[in-house]
Amino acid sequence: MDPMEVFKIVVTGQEDFGAKKYRELIMDILQDLGLIRSIGRLYVYVDIMEPVFAIYGLLRTGIPPLTVRDVGDVLKTEGGYQVKINDEEHMSDLLKILWGRYGRERVEQPARDIVIIASDTDPSGLTVADLETEFLQDLTDGLVRVAPEGFRNRRNEMNKDSFFFIAAEETLTPELIAKTKEKIREMQNA
Amino acid sequence: MLEPVMFTGGLYKHDLVVELVEDLGGYVLQKNVTQSEVILLILIPSEDKSVLETLIKELRGELVRAPLAGTEVAVVTPTLAIHHLPHTACDIAEYLRRHGSKTNMMGLARGVGREIAQINEYETALINEHDAAVFIFGNFRECIRKKESLYRNITVPVVVTGGPEMAKSELPYAFEYVPSIGRVAHRARKATEIGTLDHIVESVGRALDKTRADITKDPLTTSPPRVMDAVREQVPDVEYSYSPLPIALNLGGVRVKLPYERYKDAVKAVTFDEGVTLGEIATIRPSHMKDYILVRILPASETGYVF
Repeated sequence: MDPMEVFKIVVTGQEDFGAKKYRELIMDILQDLGLIRSIGRLYVYVDIMEPVFAIYGLLRTGIPPLTVRDVGDVLKTEGGYQVKINDEEHMSDLLKILWGRYGRERVEQPARDIVIIASDTDPSGLTVADLETEFLQDLTDGLVRVAPEGFRNRRNEMNKDSFFFIAAEETLTPELIAKTKEKIREMQNA
Repeated sequence: MLEPVMFTGGLYKHDLVVELVEDLGGYVLQKNVTQSEVILLILIPSEDKSVLETLIKELRGELVRAPLAGTEVAVVTPTLAIHHLPHTACDIAEYLRRHGSKTNMMGLARGVGREIAQINEYETALINEHDAAVFIFGNFRECIRKKESLYRNITVPVVVTGGPEMAKSELPYAFEYVPSIGRVAHRARKATEIGTLDHIVESVGRALDKTRADITKDPLTTSPPRVMDAVREQVPDVEYSYSPLPIALNLGGVRVKLPYERYKDAVKAVTFDEGVTLGEIATIRPSHMKDYILVRILPASETGYVF
């Protein structure tokens, strides 16, 4: 069963096999990159005679930014705060944020997973990483991998809740983009 | 007739196998040592195979037929990008290796796309130095048909692989077409996927058999393994080559992995027991692969004798 609500793929011409395989391929790649749960609906349109490859997707939005509270436990100590890190993945981002906010001389790391801050201001609410930006970067990478390799002229329109990716061998003209968008709209309404 | 086989077993006492093969008049083509295990690719006279089997049974080793041993196969993908590698291309290359062939993976510089796919003269010449080539294409019928231009000028048999079922008549320049292995993003692990790899091996085997049959019509002056043995003996520097296989065998000759300019004369001067030199019975020219030496044995119709 697809983890997505809607996953439609249309390939023009006698390419039923290609459509079936590209479905598997897109699932494999999105799964590899851990993106699949963040995509709600996906529409893929391929015209192999043009040739053009397009994906339109609706995102399941609402990934909140990662704060200091999310990566570790914040404790009030004498003369400052102590952060005990639970998620080391964002350690370098955390240190960068703390250095920027308090200055290097006020941030100390006596052990690998402990950071001590000599300040009265609570760091809990500081944003460590913007996961949404990271997600969009990963998604772009995924889309480039999914598209056939020869399709080197690409255009990617992304916003908070949807993306439209188009790739072709020849130069992308406004007419081609408009035509492809129209096809995808038809798929949505079908 | 020499039969290609592969021995897998412990490193301990494997030299007994090597000695026996040499005594029986066979050849050890390749030796791979991996920690305490050794893999030997062997050509053995078929009438003496049972002697070797007995010894290998004693040593608790394993002996299997390696139909592709002594051949070099090019596995060609449109480029060496993540779209084709690692899964499809590496699976096919590895599978061919397990059946004894020496496999070279090649990515073309501009092989991608439907309209824009190209191959240049150098790439064509390099593929032509192999005994067969496997071209790996994708999932779209139209693209596979269009990409015929990539292998139209290749003189060795070309096995084309791709996703959809297609009639052989749609690809007149291919030796055979093997379907259901187009672009995939996972390793071949299902029985059907492994079965497809088997089809590719069978197809390459048939392609090589065709070349072998062509050669028997006008036999080579001497056999490539014999040339390999003589070169190994008389040009000892070849043992210091960093390549895992310093002398690669083809059906029509060998590739000696030494710099052409420095060693061409030494290779030409290699003498056989019959008194002829390699320079007299073979053309020796620079290979398109690095600066190696390519030896192509002349057929009996040109030299007038076979030994």
